[in-house]
Amino acid sequence: MAAKGRELKGKGVGSSMTRWRGPLWGSVFFLAGALLLAGCPKKPEVQTGGPGAMAGDKMTKGAPIREAPLRPGEKPSALKDVFFDFDKSVLRTDAKQTLENDLQWLTANSQVRIVLEGHCDERGTNEYNLALGERRAKTVRDYLVAGGVDSKRISTISYGEERPFVLGHDESAWQWNRRGHFVVVK
Amino acid sequence: MTGLWRILLLLLVLWGGMPPANGSAQVDITVTRRAVQRIPVVVVGLQPLQLVSGGADLAARAESILKGDLEFSTIFEVLPPVFLPFDSKEIRLGEEKKVLPSLNQLKVQALVAAYLTKQGKDLVLEGRVYNVPRGAFVGGTRYFGDVKALRTMVHRLADEVVFRLTGERGVASTRIAYASVEKGATELYLMDYDGHNSVLVTGNRSINLSPRFSPDGKLLAYTSYRDGNPDLYLLNLETGRRKKVSALPGLNISPAWSPDGRWLALSLSKDGGTNVYMMGLNGKKLRRLTNGLGISVAASFSPNGRQIVFTSDRGGSPQIYVIDVEGTNLRRLSFQGDYNASPHWSPRGDKIAFISDRGGGSFQIYLMNLDGSGVQQMTTVGSNEDPAWSPDGRHLVFSSNRSGTKDVYVMHADGSGLKRLTRSALNNFAPNWSP
Repeated sequence: MAAKGRELKGKGVGSSMTRWRGPLWGSVFFLAGALLLAGCPKKPEVQTGGPGAMAGDKMTKGAPIREAPLRPGEKPSALKDVFFDFDKSVLRTDAKQTLENDLQWLTANSQVRIVLEGHCDERGTNEYNLALGERRAKTVRDYLVAGGVDSKRISTISYGEERPFVLGHDESAWQWNRRGHFVVVK
Repeated sequence: MTGLWRILLLLLVLWGGMPPANGSAQVDITVTRRAVQRIPVVVVGLQPLQLVSGGADLAARAESILKGDLEFSTIFEVLPPVFLPFDSKEIRLGEEKKVLPSLNQLKVQALVAAYLTKQGKDLVLEGRVYNVPRGAFVGGTRYFGDVKALRTMVHRLADEVVFRLTGERGVASTRIAYASVEKGATELYLMDYDGHNSVLVTGNRSINLSPRFSPDGKLLAYTSYRDGNPDLYLLNLETGRRKKVSALPGLNISPAWSPDGRWLALSLSKDGGTNVYMMGLNGKKLRRLTNGLGISVAASFSPNGRQIVFTSDRGGSPQIYVIDVEGTNLRRLSFQGDYNASPHWSPRGDKIAFISDRGGGSFQIYLMNLDGSGVQQMTTVGSNEDPAWSPDGRHLVFSSNRSGTKDVYVMHADGSGLKRLTRSALNNFAPNWSP
C-alpha cells in the first residue's frame, strides 16, 4: 500500500499527451455501462477496447461524454465498471453480476495488476466524496479479494467527484459517475 | 439645494424604508437601527489623474474601489456626493478641516480625504481620516506603488480607515484561495477579496483541492494528486517553497489549521474508514481523533482551539458533529435533512456555517449556534457549497451553481450584499479566506 503513490508517480495524470484518447475510451465505457444497466443482451459485443469500440463512438456521438484520462501503460481489458446508488458504497445486484464476470477475467489473467478508482457524482461536498469514493473502491477490492484475487494485484484510489465520467447535472449523468472504475496497469 | 433640504434628504437615506405610519412600531425600530448602525462617512479629494492624456482617470478608479471597500465592510455607509453642500472633488490636500462643521450638521461621523498624485514612475496615494463630530484628525498614511498596485494601495487605505475608526482589522487587503477546473486539471488560485488579480498557485496539471490559509497567512495547506495519490502539501506563499507533509496510503485530505498555527487537523484513510487526525506541521506527532469505519472529514477548529466541528456519516448519513481536540465529548449538532456537511466555525466563535439539503433537493448554506439551535438559512438560489468565513466574521464566501457553472460568491453574514467573484466556463469552488 505504501508504494501506491509511487506507482503512479510522474505519469502525467491528465496530461496533454494522453488526453486526446479520452473521448474514445469515454464513449466505450459509457456504452458498455449503458448496455450493462439496461441489461442488453448484446453485452458481449461491446467490450472495452474490443471490436465494438468504433461503433460505440459513433452511436454516442453528441451524447454528453466526458474525457477519461488514460495513464500511460493502461491497457484495454474486459473488466467492466460497477455503479453505485447515491451516497452508497454497497454493491447492488447488477454490480455483483458485473464483478463475477470481472472475477473470471482476473482469474484467467492472473498476471494482470489493477488500480480500482472510486468515483462519485457531483452532489455533496468534494471532501466527503473523496472519502466516499475511497470506500467504493475498497468495497470492490474486498469483493474481488474475497473471490480469490490476490490483494497485492489491486491498489485503490479515490477521485471523489473530481473526474466525472459523464458531464451533466441530472441523474442521467450522475448514475455513470458513481462508479468503481478498473484500470489495468500491468 | 438649501441646507435644510439636504438634511431632510439625508435623514431619509439614513432611515431609509421607515414608513411614516404609526402602526407596526417594533418593526420600524429594527429597520431604523440597522441602517443607522453603519457609520455615515464621506469621501473627498481624488482629483482626476491621467498618466497619459486621454487615458483612464486613475483617481476615479481609486474612488470607486475605496467606496466599494467601505460599503462592503458593512461598517460604513458612504454618502453620495449629491448630499454634500460642496463639491467633493474641490477639497484640496490640507483643506479638509474647512468642511468638517458642515459635515457634522449632516450627522456624518467620519471624513476620508484621499489624494492620488504622480511622483516619477510611481503613484502616491495619500489618505487622511477625520473624526467629524470632534473635528479632529485621526490619522493618515501615504502609499507608494506603480499603476498595477493601485488596487492594493486603495485596499490598504480602506483597511486603515476601518482600523482608525473602529479598531478592527478590515478585510479589503485579504485574499481568497479557490480551486478552478481547467482542461483535465483542477488548479488552485489566489485572488483579491473582491475577485480581482487572480494568480495561479499550483500549476501541476493534476487535481488540487481544499486550500486552507495558515492563521498567519504565510502557508497554504492543500491536497494534491501531483504524485498520483491525494497527499497533503504546505506551500510557503512568501518563498514559493512546497513541502509534502502527509503522504500516507489512501487519502490525505481536508486540512484545517489550529488557531495557533502549530497543528493541522486532516482526514486520513490509512486505518480503514476515513478519520480525523491531528498532525504537527512536519507531518509528525500524528494523533487519531475520531474512530470507526465511517467517514469523518471537513474539520474546522473553534477559535479557542479546543474543539473541532466536522462532517461524519457515523449515524448513517452525513451530519455535523463536534468533538474536543482530546478526542472526547463527541456530540451531534445536526438532525434535520439527509445531508449536512462543510461546517466552518466563525472567527467570532458564536456560529457554525454549514450546508444542508433539509430544504429538499439542492444544498443551501445555513448558520447555527454552537449547540445546533437557531438555524438560519442564508441562500435560496441554486445549489450552494463550501461556506467559509471572512477573518472578521462579517462575510461568508461560498460556491454556487446558480449561474449554471460553479462559481465563488461572497455575501454579508446576514445574507445580504451578494457578489459574484469568479466567472469562467468551468467550475470554481472550495474558497478559503486569508487572515
